[in-house]
Amino acid sequence: MKFDLPIFDVKNLSFKVGDQQILTSVNFEIFKRDYIAIIGPNGGGKTTLIRLLLGLEKPSSGEIKVYGKKIFTSHHKIGFVPQRASLVDLNFPATSQDIVKLGVLRSKKAQNIESVMQKMGVWHLRDKMIGTLSGGQRQRVMIARALASDPEVLILDEPNTGVDVASQQRFYALLRELNQNEGITILFITHDTGVIADDINRLFSINQKATICNNPKQVLSCEDISEIYGIEAHMLHHHRHAH
Amino acid sequence: MFEMFEYDFIVRAFLAGLIIATLASVSGTFVVLRRYSMISETLAHSALVGVAVALVAEFSPLWFAVLFALFSAWIIEYLRSRFFLYSDAALSVLLSASLALAIVIVSLGGSFNNSLFSYLFGSILSVSRVDLYTIAIFGSVALALLLYYKDEFFFMAYDEEVARVSGVDTLRLNFLLVSIIAIIVALSITIIGTLLIGALVTIPAISALQFRVSFNRTLLLSLSFALASVVGGLFISYAYSLPSGATIVLCSIAIFILSLVKNR
Repeated sequence: MKFDLPIFDVKNLSFKVGDQQILTSVNFEIFKRDYIAIIGPNGGGKTTLIRLLLGLEKPSSGEIKVYGKKIFTSHHKIGFVPQRASLVDLNFPATSQDIVKLGVLRSKKAQNIESVMQKMGVWHLRDKMIGTLSGGQRQRVMIARALASDPEVLILDEPNTGVDVASQQRFYALLRELNQNEGITILFITHDTGVIADDINRLFSINQKATICNNPKQVLSCEDISEIYGIEAHMLHHHRHAH
Repeated sequence: MFEMFEYDFIVRAFLAGLIIATLASVSGTFVVLRRYSMISETLAHSALVGVAVALVAEFSPLWFAVLFALFSAWIIEYLRSRFFLYSDAALSVLLSASLALAIVIVSLGGSFNNSLFSYLFGSILSVSRVDLYTIAIFGSVALALLLYYKDEFFFMAYDEEVARVSGVDTLRLNFLLVSIIAIIVALSITIIGTLLIGALVTIPAISALQFRVSFNRTLLLSLSFALASVVGGLFISYAYSLPSGATIVLCSIAIFILSLVKNR
């Protein structure tokens, strides 16, 4: 039972570009401590949904309430890591620490920089240029930036793009820890359907319409994956390694 | 060589050059990182339209240059933010429009063509005391704003949407940045010229970026390269009787080539 005010309250949300309908009548609520994966085929509207939640796009119809308010006012309660985070311009003139500092711009949380970089295991890389890091290291720096302002919600768009398998496993362990130990609400887009089922508590399947599932373990069967992505699917079982 | 500083006009030229080098290189670092390298060229041509209109109407060319450059900067930013035009596409539209308008006014002008052409190449050696004060005062305000919002501009150059989600007022700051650049460019065209100011804005920053160092160091390198280009360019132009604006730009190109070679 949920009695708290939802962080996101989405009602009859639709979005179209020109004549192309991207999302149709999407309804859901996201509560504190939710750990949600968004899956669906490319072009299904996953990234658009996130952009709408962040106020980067305006709905064609319907409404989104963020912390009970209709109009999204940018604040530090929401940390965002975009899809392109790990594919940063290799020549961009910034050290890892320069990037993390952006998360506490004009706030009094400068002391967070070291602790959050320590937590993400990138403090020793603080003077390294961002373009010289591996995909996995860059990903952790980007998450450190998003966490530096002590957000209550962390939204990540395909955070594992350009990241190797070992780093992906460490990444999911980290997300689990942030959600379970620190109570951060997490919403992320992924295609790693086989890996996420044990951790998340809700699954959003987006393909123009949204199918919300509150018991993901039961849903992520081969048949369901086939239906969501429109392909024949075979489930491979992963063994979780401790790191 | 140093006897050149006995002449007041040379001292004024050095001071004006150093102020413009500082303004151009600091603003240029943000411009280049935002893939906005052509904005100084575009705004310089818009400023030239302002000069042409002022010459016809017999008003102050400097202030009309500032006015037209500002107006053009706001149109560019409006097109980019409201109509989602790519930055380079918005710049291309305004560059072509400004150039066409300038040519039409030039063709109608007749008698003032010579005055207008002096703004194409500038004349750093004919900087008056009033020009110097004007550049110093407005340049100080522009520099103070650039440095105050340095971190926000850096964030927006890194990722504008993430900056917006993080609470940075990107719409207002984008307009502020292009306005500052418009004022710097318009103030500079009387000295460096329409055709050359773009080089002083972008080339030192591009050279600095070759060293792949942190943002603050990139900013300092860009500033050092611009100052070195102005000082070197003025000395060489005095020694060999070369056009000063063009010599300054060639010095900055030489530094760029050296930066490329050193960091390849």
